[in-house]
Amino acid sequence: MVSEYKGPRSKYYFYIGGAIFSFIVLIPLYFLVIIAFASPSQTLGAYYPPLIPTKFTLDNLRAAFSGYGSILIAAFYKSLETAFIVASIAILLGFHAAYGLTKIPYRISNLILGLLFFSTMIPSLTIAIPISSTFIKIGLYDSALGLALAQELVVLPLTVFLITGSLESVPRTLEYQARVDGATFIQALYRVIFPLAVPGVVAAFLLSWLMSWDEFTFAVIISPVHPTLPILIYLESTARGNIFTGTVFALLVTIPVIILTIILSKFLRGSYMSAGITG
Amino acid sequence: MVRWKDEWTAYVLMLPAIIYVLYLAFIPALEAVYGSFHTASGELSTYNYRFVLSTFGTSPIINTFVVTASALLLQFTVAFMVASLLSKPFRGRGIFSAIFLIPFGVATIVTGVLFHDIFSTFGGYANTVLLDLHLKPVDWTGSYGTSLLVLILADSWKNTPIVTLVLLSGMVTIPSDLYAQAMVDGAGPISRFFHITVPNMLGFIAIALMIRGISEFNIFAMALLLFPHELLTTMTYALFDTVNAYPADAGATILLAFVLVFAALVMFMRSRQGKVSSNGK
Repeated sequence: MVSEYKGPRSKYYFYIGGAIFSFIVLIPLYFLVIIAFASPSQTLGAYYPPLIPTKFTLDNLRAAFSGYGSILIAAFYKSLETAFIVASIAILLGFHAAYGLTKIPYRISNLILGLLFFSTMIPSLTIAIPISSTFIKIGLYDSALGLALAQELVVLPLTVFLITGSLESVPRTLEYQARVDGATFIQALYRVIFPLAVPGVVAAFLLSWLMSWDEFTFAVIISPVHPTLPILIYLESTARGNIFTGTVFALLVTIPVIILTIILSKFLRGSYMSAGITG
Repeated sequence: MVRWKDEWTAYVLMLPAIIYVLYLAFIPALEAVYGSFHTASGELSTYNYRFVLSTFGTSPIINTFVVTASALLLQFTVAFMVASLLSKPFRGRGIFSAIFLIPFGVATIVTGVLFHDIFSTFGGYANTVLLDLHLKPVDWTGSYGTSLLVLILADSWKNTPIVTLVLLSGMVTIPSDLYAQAMVDGAGPISRFFHITVPNMLGFIAIALMIRGISEFNIFAMALLLFPHELLTTMTYALFDTVNAYPADAGATILLAFVLVFAALVMFMRSRQGKVSSNGK
């Protein structure tokens, strides 16, 4: 792209730079695996733990699963349930809103998108407190559905935005043809547009899922009694819990998510993320 | 081409999302602001604010600013470096960009736990490295400066990928002719960066600032684990009480005010950029 970088010698700088940044990214994950699998006496049990341990054990894993089995499974299940509800609602509301946005004058759609994004500017803590008191009244407190409804606020604007971006790449003529052939507005939406928007919808689903899986602030206030995985990790990693158990849980949370992130990396070409905002 | 009936259908399709956001974001936000000016018995008063200030002083506010500013500085510096690396074609770029994205997926709390383990005074890997380099071990959580450093490092490790993504998408929009011309004119890499890259990317910088700045003001999970000093968020959390939420509402309202001022500043910057670029065209 830029002519100066075409020389074969300067390519080495890319690999040196790439290697340095990869090292920085990967080193904390290396420690995560080490703490989970090495003998405690060689990790957090030592005053100065060796960087490369020699004794490995499955005891940490066993202890985490035997001592905390039911709590862990409950938390895992709650995180999963919440993430799927969040992602499903995000697609249901987000896809329709995004399609609507592409059909109205630009001035108004920009205003509505701005309104949606304004909601993400409101700090989670500011609204978590009134939401939790409302949820206590209507019985949604501490439930996966209630938590999902709150987390949705963080996710929905971004979903609308991602799907709007992918809808804009769908050629208008296809839709007009369907309309000429007698399809109604709604038929055109589900039969013609939706199948073409699937890549954006999948990306939005994965992203909302991921963001819900990570969410902490709403979870700690709205669902403290039956915690989600992040809250469980937090509780285990502070003074009251067992730090090794916390680390095993952390590893458990991280593995599926790294796989998801690598899948997402194909979709998350920043241009998607910023296409609408710049517009 | 759109008939009026279609346009109404479009509004109906958008309505659920709009109602949702109004009902679960705007109304609770107003409730929090309203609650912050009331006492538990329902009288209008500034008691909650006076209570917050007398209990915590202004240090949570100052700390929040320090954390936000230093985290943004580090994240933008690194993100610019990584983005300019990834904006050029070279073999293996795909693998590198996948690796750089990994922290984006690692949960915030996991990042917090990890950095807590790495920087703990007893059994921390950071101190092992220092010792191997024949340096003195450091009590990382012992002082304001070092715990700030640990928090910033953890937060930047997790969040630099998103900044990089946004900056990268901006960087690829800059025509390479500009750089070629500047080089002919004898501009070095640093002057090219400040005279071509930055001005052409102000819009994208604003987006990244917006996304990260707002979350940085709201930094919470990591701060609970890594930062033994009060921030606006941890203060609000400490005040949270299901019986009397009003003092927490006051903390939350202060936070909301800061976020809105920050967002307004960034938007102002963006709108000025819009004028500049339209003049340019």
